[in-house]
Amino acid sequence: MRDQIVDDLQLRIPTVPLRLISQGAEALIFMTNQHPYLPAGVNPCDVDNPGKYIIKYRPPKPYRHPKLDKRITATRTSSEAKLLHKLYQLGVKAPKLIAIDAPNGLIWMEFLGYQLPDMRYSSLKNWLWLLERESDRDHPVALADNVKDCCNGIGRSIGVLHLHGIVHGDLTTSNIVLTDEATLKPSLIDFGLSSYSGLPEDRAVDLYVLERALKSTHPVYAEKYWEWILDGYHDVHEEDGKRGRKKYSETISRFKEVRMRGRKRTMIG
Amino acid sequence: MVDMDAFAKPGKPYYLALGMEGSANKLGVGVIKHHLGPLDENNRAEILANVRSTYNAPPGQGFLPRDTARHHRNWVVRLVEKALKDSGVKVSDLDCLCFTQGPGMGAPLQSVVVAARTLSQLWELPLVGVNHCIGHIEMGREITGARNPVVLYVSGGNTQVIAYSRQRYRIFGETLDIAIGNCLDRFARTLHIPNDPSPGYNIEQLARKGKHLVELPYTVKGMDLSMSGILEYVDGLAHDLFSGKKSKYLYDEEDGERITVEDLCFSLQENLFSMLVEITERAMAHVDSNQVLIVGGVGCNERLQEMMGIMAGDRNGSIYATDERFCIDNGIMIAHAGLLAYRVGYGNELEDTVCRQKFRTDEVYVKWRDD
Ligand SMILES: Nc1ncnc2c1ncn2[C@@H]1O[C@H](COP(=O)(O)OP(=O)(O)O)[C@@H](O)[C@H]1O
Ligand SMILES: [Mg+2]
Repeated sequence: MRDQIVDDLQLRIPTVPLRLISQGAEALIFMTNQHPYLPAGVNPCDVDNPGKYIIKYRPPKPYRHPKLDKRITATRTSSEAKLLHKLYQLGVKAPKLIAIDAPNGLIWMEFLGYQLPDMRYSSLKNWLWLLERESDRDHPVALADNVKDCCNGIGRSIGVLHLHGIVHGDLTTSNIVLTDEATLKPSLIDFGLSSYSGLPEDRAVDLYVLERALKSTHPVYAEKYWEWILDGYHDVHEEDGKRGRKKYSETISRFKEVRMRGRKRTMIG
Repeated sequence: MVDMDAFAKPGKPYYLALGMEGSANKLGVGVIKHHLGPLDENNRAEILANVRSTYNAPPGQGFLPRDTARHHRNWVVRLVEKALKDSGVKVSDLDCLCFTQGPGMGAPLQSVVVAARTLSQLWELPLVGVNHCIGHIEMGREITGARNPVVLYVSGGNTQVIAYSRQRYRIFGETLDIAIGNCLDRFARTLHIPNDPSPGYNIEQLARKGKHLVELPYTVKGMDLSMSGILEYVDGLAHDLFSGKKSKYLYDEEDGERITVEDLCFSLQENLFSMLVEITERAMAHVDSNQVLIVGGVGCNERLQEMMGIMAGDRNGSIYATDERFCIDNGIMIAHAGLLAYRVGYGNELEDTVCRQKFRTDEVYVKWRDD
């Protein structure tokens, strides 16, 4: 089935070499060395990895009604592209948008990340899993300062998004990547569920979703990671001044409420 | 490898457990048999009895705790007798008595715990309290042979995407407000359709006749989802339809035909199930799994199973689902999960058999697995 989908896409863009590198939650992710309109060997000057591009393809989902499917694919593709562009303008680290083909569900973007020592891709998830495997009581490398700094940075990025009225909508450790082996600078990716919202509720749910993803994916050290992320989140709000402080306290009190709701919900049957 | 036989009775090559479930409107009793050794393809659990009685509220109403508890009290003795008779097992040959400790509705849970405590003293058998959700998961794994699937647990009170790691069933996604079954049941009440055999089943039948897809809110939040806004919206549409309104949104935009109740059921299902399949797929991608197991009452829905199957196929994976004997709340799953726990040393003293309405899936330490 998957091969069929890949073949279909290749037929539609026959001159672009495609290598499937990952099947995400809803998209197929391809790597290509070809820029959509620059001649071979010429690359934009402001990309992390010249000559390496990602093509994110949202194929039709045959399980859902075609009408619903079209609506979802088109809105997600175009809203993701718009957001990538917006983040570029804001100077927030995220893959740079290179091209979009909304009707076909295609986004062309900058490649971010590198290969971890265990040969896996440098998503936050894979990195933490690697450190967690290497950790023991005497040497909890998963709790080292570089992890702390990285988590702070993630919290800051989320904070910046929220300060600009953007919610990510799908914060997990798969959707955060490390972009540089030396600095471990994190970047958010996967903006398909992102939206503009001024509601504390939406920001609170954004945080709640990430907290739970941490707890389920990284059960042993989740609490620490989360504390550090919140520290960074707090700091950018603080630096923003009065408005930021207000926003922060609104979001956090709502976040506690969302958490409570989860605990109070009755579970019958 | 976990030693599953550290507590076996000397000279006895098998275990027998009786399980009692009554956390919602179904009372179920089951008897299960395990042979010594770890369970696998060649050593399957044997279902010796699985009986159930369902309390149905009148159309337009939900089941109330008091009435449901009364139903359970009235039936529990008869069901236990029936299960024992079906199984051909002598009480003296049982190893333990398993009961649902939670989560669920207080009064019905309690009525079953009281019965279990009484029987345990009468028959001098140890008690094992079981988490209802763990019951569903373990039974689903045993019946389908799925080893380490992502589990979608969908029932009247629960909507969770679960995956196993480090001896716990961890919740990766869940509803932020109401459960899927609850959402369907409440819409059935709005439509005044019967609760027998179940509101969800009746919606499924109506949905099959629907052909226009009405646009509804689609509210996935990462691996979580929210359904109360959708219910409110579709309830509103139903009211407008019943009151004879002629608004534009009550006509299909393509063929101009008036939207029907069947169309609303169809659209609600398509919308909600797409969301469920999507969050399941998100969890599968996140934990790198291509098996999915659907458990819980809503898991009987054939459209949901079909959609999930297509998604899993596109990921080169497979779907595991069970039929209504195991999907819908039952006693056998409690017997099975309870027996797994018993075999690794779990048991409840009388004073810690108090039921817990909010017993979470990830609280249980899964000692019987170590993969
Ligand atoms: N810009 C990128 N650079 C490098 N890898 C990427 C990039 N975008 C996505 N990926 C890889 O593909 C995976 C899935 O991409 P994502 O955008 O999250 O799609 P989905 O919505 O399907 O989850 C990511 O977890 C990451 O491993
Ligand atoms: Mg993703």
